[in-house]
Amino acid sequence: MPVSDFLSDSAARFPEKDFLVWRNRRITYGSMSRKVDALAAGLADEGLVAGERVGICMGNSTEYVMAYFGIMKAGAVVVPVSEQSTGRGLAAILNNCQASMLLIDRVVLQTLLEVLPGIPSLRRVIIAVKGDVEGEGAEERIQDLPPGPSGFRFLRQILTEGKGKVVPCITREPDLAMICYTSGTTGSPKGVMLTHRNLMANADSIVEYLRLTSHDKMMVVLPFYYSYGNSLLTTHAKVGGTLHIGRNFVYPNSVLELMVREGVTGFAGVPSTFAILLNRSAIRKYAFPMLRYLTQAGGAMSPRSAEELHRILPGTDIFIMYGQTEASARLTYLAPADLRRKAGSIGKPIPGVRITIRREDFTPCAPREVGEIVAEGDNVMKGYWGDQEGTARTLRSDGLHTGDMAWMDEEGYIYIVGRQSEFIKSGGHRIGAKEIEEAILELPTVHEVAVVGEEDEILGESITAYVVAKERSGIDPHAIQRCCRDRLPVYMVPRKVVFMDELPKTISGKIRKNELRRVEG
Amino acid sequence: MEVEMLIRDFIVENFLFGNVDVPLGDEDSFLQKGFIDSTGILEVVSFIEEKFGIKVEDDDLLPENLDSIRRLADFVVRKRSLAA
Repeated sequence: MPVSDFLSDSAARFPEKDFLVWRNRRITYGSMSRKVDALAAGLADEGLVAGERVGICMGNSTEYVMAYFGIMKAGAVVVPVSEQSTGRGLAAILNNCQASMLLIDRVVLQTLLEVLPGIPSLRRVIIAVKGDVEGEGAEERIQDLPPGPSGFRFLRQILTEGKGKVVPCITREPDLAMICYTSGTTGSPKGVMLTHRNLMANADSIVEYLRLTSHDKMMVVLPFYYSYGNSLLTTHAKVGGTLHIGRNFVYPNSVLELMVREGVTGFAGVPSTFAILLNRSAIRKYAFPMLRYLTQAGGAMSPRSAEELHRILPGTDIFIMYGQTEASARLTYLAPADLRRKAGSIGKPIPGVRITIRREDFTPCAPREVGEIVAEGDNVMKGYWGDQEGTARTLRSDGLHTGDMAWMDEEGYIYIVGRQSEFIKSGGHRIGAKEIEEAILELPTVHEVAVVGEEDEILGESITAYVVAKERSGIDPHAIQRCCRDRLPVYMVPRKVVFMDELPKTISGKIRKNELRRVEG
Repeated sequence: MEVEMLIRDFIVENFLFGNVDVPLGDEDSFLQKGFIDSTGILEVVSFIEEKFGIKVEDDDLLPENLDSIRRLADFVVRKRSLAA
């Protein structure tokens, strides 16, 4: 089933039911389905053809969801990009996948205009104004746009032109649905190609183990452009559930109040989300009688945090999950009943997924022997866009090589011990150290740099850059941080910069990052 | 005014990395400007607790109190007068 059918099927079953709640506005399944049809028809009128790549650079919103399903309904491929991206990051992604169209929030326009001449494949930019889905968008005219290349349209116009039309769905399950860019070990982000079958298989599996139904109401604080947030969208659209859309988790009490008011049944977060909930929110002052379950991915939950959550939310199940973008989101889960008994584990494979732990020579490990997690299943990606070498390294004959090192106990429960690849996991983001190092090395005053993740109570890991400067005068930590901020999203800016006379190295010249992590303790 | 100045210095130093050229009005929302995330706001809270000797309760963690230089300054003044 193509992903856009998740929405149309639910709209046929529950036309008057709330699909999205966003800033006190409610959008029903029927209404969203009509908007999506109009957008798909409007995009086709603009010349979009099946298989073309279309970027979405928007924060979580009803417009994002409409763009997501509309692009897929038109048979094209969704390429989500963080609205916090720098112009350079956005251009790199759009150029890599040769995107022909881009839908953006109005606030992204200035960033885009700075790099637009360097994105030759882009022939149409569609601008969303808050309230487009609800039909209350600000009345802006095309001539109000800043001067720039032609090819700008407002989302409103596309919707009006497509209204009442329906594009026949020609998408098949093996067709590409999304390209999700994720930090790579080589520096530049990799485009993970996910098919409709990949997303469908993962959604079916998640629906099964979380026992999701049309009665479920999810509070979304994770960005839709990441695979975890994306899975909240696909699974709830599939079962006819309701998504309460938040953009972030900066003010947890506002989120908690909304959850109580709306009788939310599910909440999904990463370790830092729950660290904030437990340490800096008023969660203990609220009661959540309707909250059926919590999910955490991106790291195991400490027994202390699990106990505390159990105490505060006695009737709520806690699911610990593990996955990666290359698997459409999810690979394993730890059932609530096992949380105490198997503390620290990421659980067992989700339905439809097979996992083995393998040695370097690809032979299976014995129980409790550490090796690499290798996964097979219909949710495993098609490959990396335009990167046959990277695909061949990751997708081997025995399955998806995750780069995560783990062991399995005699009952089949998996415990992660570390990563083979050099990623930093900070506040729910998977960050390639190399990308930050390359940005810092653009400063002519920097001789050498090593970026590492260091333990952080809230973030999981916080980013530290160890820098060897050519000359110590004229460079300070702020210069390094500003250089990163100009080139990278804010979550990739090192919290700490340490200057060193030289970096510790092996005889062969490789930087000893483990030693660096101990420098500052 | 002094409270606002101290808060501004902290924000510029820690979130704009000393770059005074970035426009930042007293009423500008940190959220909408996009340079403070969920952990950043906790750093701001630690700063005002330490600098102004106030205790920020979990209930206080709301945008009305924290989401601009002016709101933060008003909040600090309010808290101080309650404590006095």
